Amino acid sequence: MTEYRMCKRCVMDTSDPEITFDKNGVCNHCHTYDRLVREHIVDGEAGRQRLEKLVADIKRAGQGKQYDCVIGVSGGVDSTYVAYLVKKLGLRPLALHLDNGWDSELAVKNIEETLKRLEIDLYTEVLDWEEFRDIQSAFLKASTPDSEIPTDHAIVAILGNMAAKLGVKYILIGNNVRTETHLPSAWSEGHFDWKYIRELHKRFGTRPLKTFPHFGFFTYYMRMITQKRIAILDYVHYTKKEALRVLQEELGWRYYGGKHYESIYTRFYQGYILPVKFGYDKRRCHLSSLICSGEMTREQALEELEIPTYSPSMQEEDREYVAKKLGFSDEEFNTVMNAPKRSYWDYPSYGHFMEQPIIQAMIPSVKKVMALFQ
Amino acid sequence: MIRPRVIPALLLRGQGLVKTVKFKEPKYLGDPINIVRIFNDKEVDELVLLDITATPENRGPQFDLLKNITSEAFIPLAYGGGIRSMNDVRKLLSIGIEKLIMNTSAVENPSLIRETADHAGSQAAVVSIDVKKGLLGKYEVFTHCGQKKTWLDPVKHAVEMEKMGAGEIIINSIDRDGTMQGYDVELVRKVADSVQVPVVACGGAGNLFDVSEVIKQGHASAAAAGSIFVFQGPLRGVLISYPTPKELKEFI
Repeated sequence: MTEYRMCKRCVMDTSDPEITFDKNGVCNHCHTYDRLVREHIVDGEAGRQRLEKLVADIKRAGQGKQYDCVIGVSGGVDSTYVAYLVKKLGLRPLALHLDNGWDSELAVKNIEETLKRLEIDLYTEVLDWEEFRDIQSAFLKASTPDSEIPTDHAIVAILGNMAAKLGVKYILIGNNVRTETHLPSAWSEGHFDWKYIRELHKRFGTRPLKTFPHFGFFTYYMRMITQKRIAILDYVHYTKKEALRVLQEELGWRYYGGKHYESIYTRFYQGYILPVKFGYDKRRCHLSSLICSGEMTREQALEELEIPTYSPSMQEEDREYVAKKLGFSDEEFNTVMNAPKRSYWDYPSYGHFMEQPIIQAMIPSVKKVMALFQ
Repeated sequence: MIRPRVIPALLLRGQGLVKTVKFKEPKYLGDPINIVRIFNDKEVDELVLLDITATPENRGPQFDLLKNITSEAFIPLAYGGGIRSMNDVRKLLSIGIEKLIMNTSAVENPSLIRETADHAGSQAAVVSIDVKKGLLGKYEVFTHCGQKKTWLDPVKHAVEMEKMGAGEIIINSIDRDGTMQGYDVELVRKVADSVQVPVVACGGAGNLFDVSEVIKQGHASAAAAGSIFVFQGPLRGVLISYPTPKELKEFI
């Protein structure tokens, strides 16, 4: 057991089992943040030019097509701001929503209001609930800390599938450096790893997977060449505060409490299962990113961490609801909560394959080849 | 004056909800528990839930699923599909269903309407009538989810059902279902003008103007609709919505 430590700059701590600190007590995540900001964020005139060029490229590639880009919408801050931004830039997006059976009323209302006001068409991929419930239950039973992976994987899959179907090259995503860089991989690993999802489901699922949107190893790399996933929020001066103001004032958007709390399952997973079972408080990384980007002070973040993830009465309400939806009895749910913790590396995955020395040796040359295509 | 009710009508197929067009081409909408919860949070007037495969599959209601659904709804819930006996009626009432909708049973075993009304009050005994226009433009009543023609006339059937104790009639146009081209106002008016009990129009709503029209011109007491509350935009993206109290007041 290592001694408890917290980063001197952000609020990441040894609840990330892989965290490292430099001689000044600053963690590896802060260093990653600085590196990513250096590499991806361009401010001022240079930034404006870069954005202009991107918009021109998207428009050119989309000429004669009904849409020139696809975006994902969840009803949350980042994705809604992407919708707002792309319309402001004069692009013609198609919005995709993944309905995994856990949308809150707030989420669907936010999507409805913003897309109507922005005049953006919506396509919804509704996951087969019986099948998806089986996947989510399997992840809980597998006892790894990453039960949101199936949803995240499916979102990437449907965006890629739709772009391919429409012949659209650009997928604009809400991921961004400033507000989400401090995520420890030990807390959630293998989002693009179909083998991991499939193997885990094979072990703990009860019915065949027939319709779940996914992509394998080959498709993933093919799409890296044929499609462009653009983190457009890195192209503008994106701050949470300003985004919230714009969305609320201009789009009739309503706030739902915490990062990703627009989904009931995510709220419960991040606000209850992760902290209670695994000792991970995801707010730590979100707040840490905001500290590094200058949106809040370390003291403010520490104060916020003192508050419960969300109201205990709502946690209890959610616990009952989640158990009911997943078909868990109280006893089964307690078994899940008390099961020994496992990790991504305890199950078969592409990750294991990639770790082999021969593959590791090949990576630099593959990267060079990929760069040629891009 | 009380504002006429505007009711989302949801179709259950197996364990999932769907939306049909002319009773065909079921499009999957997702898990009923979450969808009902969203409508509940939107504070809709009431909800109609119809199990469209119960009668064709010759089975009764899925009580366990319905129990999970009613536990998420604090709004009046009307259920139809496979109700064949007083035993079904009692069980449904006990899990929190407020209104029992009968369609095939109302034709094949009308005394069940009487018994339901006697047991739970006429407001709980609802008859739904599925209607299709024949080749000569004559309205005909269908049962078994639109699969079986009965040769009954909808107006006469509605009057008959009122006599049996039905406290409400849902009149559903098979031809308009899911088309979003407007209600069959003429059909609704014919029925509404022939009975004293409230008539709920169903089938064809494309927007709130249609809803308002079927109430004003069709003399319906309430309007039920599917597509406008589950789809958004030209691509019919699945998204649950319901007008705000302000919008409802404006239109209806």
